[in-house]
Amino acid sequence: MHDAVSSDACPVELENVVKRYGTRTALDGVSLKVEPGITGLVGPNGAGKSTLVRTVLGLVKLASGRVRVFGLDPQRFPRQVRQQVGVVPEDESSVPGLTGVGMVRYAARLCGIPAGEALRRAHEVLDWCDAGQERYRPLETFSVGTRQKVAFAAAIVHDPPLIILDEPTNGLDPIERKAMLGRLVTLARDHGKTIFLCTHVLPDVQAICERAIVLAAGRVRLSGSIEELTRPALPMHRVEGTGPLEHLADSLSASGIAASLVRTNRGPAVEVATPLDGDTPAVLRAVCEHARHVGVGVRSFEPAQRPLEEVFIASLREAQAVQTSEELHAPA
Amino acid sequence: MPLHDVGYRAWNGERRPPGSAAAVIATTGIVLAWKSRWLRRAVLFAWSPALAFAMTFFAFEQAVEEGRLGMLEMTAQAGRDFDGVDLLGGLVVQTLGRPTDDQPDFLPGSTEEVDYTRRNVWSRLLLAFMRAPQAVLLAVVIGLVAPTLISRDMRAKAWLTYFTRPVSRRDYILGKAAVLAGVVAMVTVLPGLGLWLVGVLVSPSVNVAFATIDLPLKVMAASVVVAVPTVLLALAYSAVTTESRIAGFAWFATWAACWIAHSALGAAELMAHQPDPDAEQPPEVRGFLDEAFGRPPPGRGDRHERDRPMSWLARAAGLDSSIDTWAWVSPYHSVGVVQAAVFGMEQRPQAFLPPLISLTSISVISLVVLVRRVDAPMRS
Repeated sequence: MHDAVSSDACPVELENVVKRYGTRTALDGVSLKVEPGITGLVGPNGAGKSTLVRTVLGLVKLASGRVRVFGLDPQRFPRQVRQQVGVVPEDESSVPGLTGVGMVRYAARLCGIPAGEALRRAHEVLDWCDAGQERYRPLETFSVGTRQKVAFAAAIVHDPPLIILDEPTNGLDPIERKAMLGRLVTLARDHGKTIFLCTHVLPDVQAICERAIVLAAGRVRLSGSIEELTRPALPMHRVEGTGPLEHLADSLSASGIAASLVRTNRGPAVEVATPLDGDTPAVLRAVCEHARHVGVGVRSFEPAQRPLEEVFIASLREAQAVQTSEELHAPA
Repeated sequence: MPLHDVGYRAWNGERRPPGSAAAVIATTGIVLAWKSRWLRRAVLFAWSPALAFAMTFFAFEQAVEEGRLGMLEMTAQAGRDFDGVDLLGGLVVQTLGRPTDDQPDFLPGSTEEVDYTRRNVWSRLLLAFMRAPQAVLLAVVIGLVAPTLISRDMRAKAWLTYFTRPVSRRDYILGKAAVLAGVVAMVTVLPGLGLWLVGVLVSPSVNVAFATIDLPLKVMAASVVVAVPTVLLALAYSAVTTESRIAGFAWFATWAACWIAHSALGAAELMAHQPDPDAEQPPEVRGFLDEAFGRPPPGRGDRHERDRPMSWLARAAGLDSSIDTWAWVSPYHSVGVVQAAVFGMEQRPQAFLPPLISLTSISVISLVVLVRRVDAPMRS
């Protein structure tokens, strides 16, 4: 078997992976693919996210299944695989006694970057992460946010094509959180990195990820593009605008077009059912007419999406129901 | 955005070969350990015995240069110390006064005899230096450094930093072991080599360096004998707990308890084999008993006595011909016996094999524990 990383190969591919810790099954037949771009991995506590990350790095022995990272088996070629991966672990991890810049430089040197170059590169990525002068202080004195920045810088210092982040926005204030998400988008869009984002913060996933995987009780419950996952059961469009939106909803309902007022994180909006035959322009014309009539200024008219949170909770309930049913029907 | 922020840039430089991570872990570990003021003080203190030994080298070479070697031998025959360097002088005198069985016949005062005597005295001095003060000081210095090496990494979850990068378990263990090996080198190899160099510098001819070139190699080999089991044992203790205090306590307790056990067993054995309290005992046995029971040996202060009881240093120099049957119980004594074998002062298999087996067992068990423990948190 070849031991060279293939740039054409799928960044991460798992097939029917089973991992058990004693009698507890952490991963139960997980099959998934992580394509280039940003993929979110969401799941409740104990879903198996951290085990999945360790599986990708070849740190745990599997009961069965097949894992490939850029075409390589991480169990057989851990060094080559880890050379291609940058990891921001969920748990705070530091080497006691080092400063911020010392830590990033150390991470670079562990990945094979020569000492002088490692220092230059460490400063470069810390600058990009906006670490400031705090980098010269010992790690133990850092705030949670600064630690996250340093951990992120240490993960990308060797320019890996695959970046795995476990709760990277933990402890960041809203401005820093936005900046961190912006950096991830830059890495994926401008530098072609594959980013695998494990998080509980579903709005983050919805905001920057192209695809999402929902993991619960060691199984993949949902997987697909964000657009697919958040598409409502019936075709709907969302109208955002200024003025009495509730009057617009009433007016549309009175004329026989199914419409309702909803609250979104961007404010109130009206969701309008779109006919299945796809005559969206006709609906848009009707909405504009009614809006003018009730004094609403239409700002946007776009396909409605369900919040990822709603999708996530629904899938967990479904998973729970399936599990209960399996337990009931299991032989004693 | 700061002016110097050039944004994210790809890096396509040449990477160092696989396995260089061990060297990175080692160098960083040494730099971090050296920041400890206590370690710097301890290493400085550990060098102090070398000064006393250097004086002995100087005194010996001075006697050789002044042609007083024959007189020294007579002094030895008379059981006197020489040149005022009392403790170490005693060692030299006993060396001179106890020619080995395989000593060839030389013309008195010939160059061959001087070379032979020099090698004998230097070897014993270096062995005594490594066995007596340095082995004890080494245990102290390792006890300051080793307990934190892995336990602190485990507490700070630094294993995530290592094992999510291209660092294997072997790299990690090698790197951490190299930190301690560096400490061992600082405490034993460097002063040992320094002593040999001092001997060469104060000797009458530079040819002495070529005549004794095997001694620095023996110093390094003897350091390996002490380094392997001690480093692995210390790392194993550090790997089994996240509390470095507990690892430190276990380390010192092992040395102390095994030393006490060795002394107790040795004393018990001597008492059991004591045929007649009134009978004259061999001087080595008498010295051992005196030391074991802390009583002054008979005749102490009588500088004309022919066979003086062995001092700690003299025994460390391999002048005691009796076999220490319980050496294998104590790492300190085991290391000493095997080091004596390395220096050629102990060639009886029944004397050095049990300690060698003991040290090998300690090393193997420690290595197994270490290999199983270092990345255990990743697997759980």
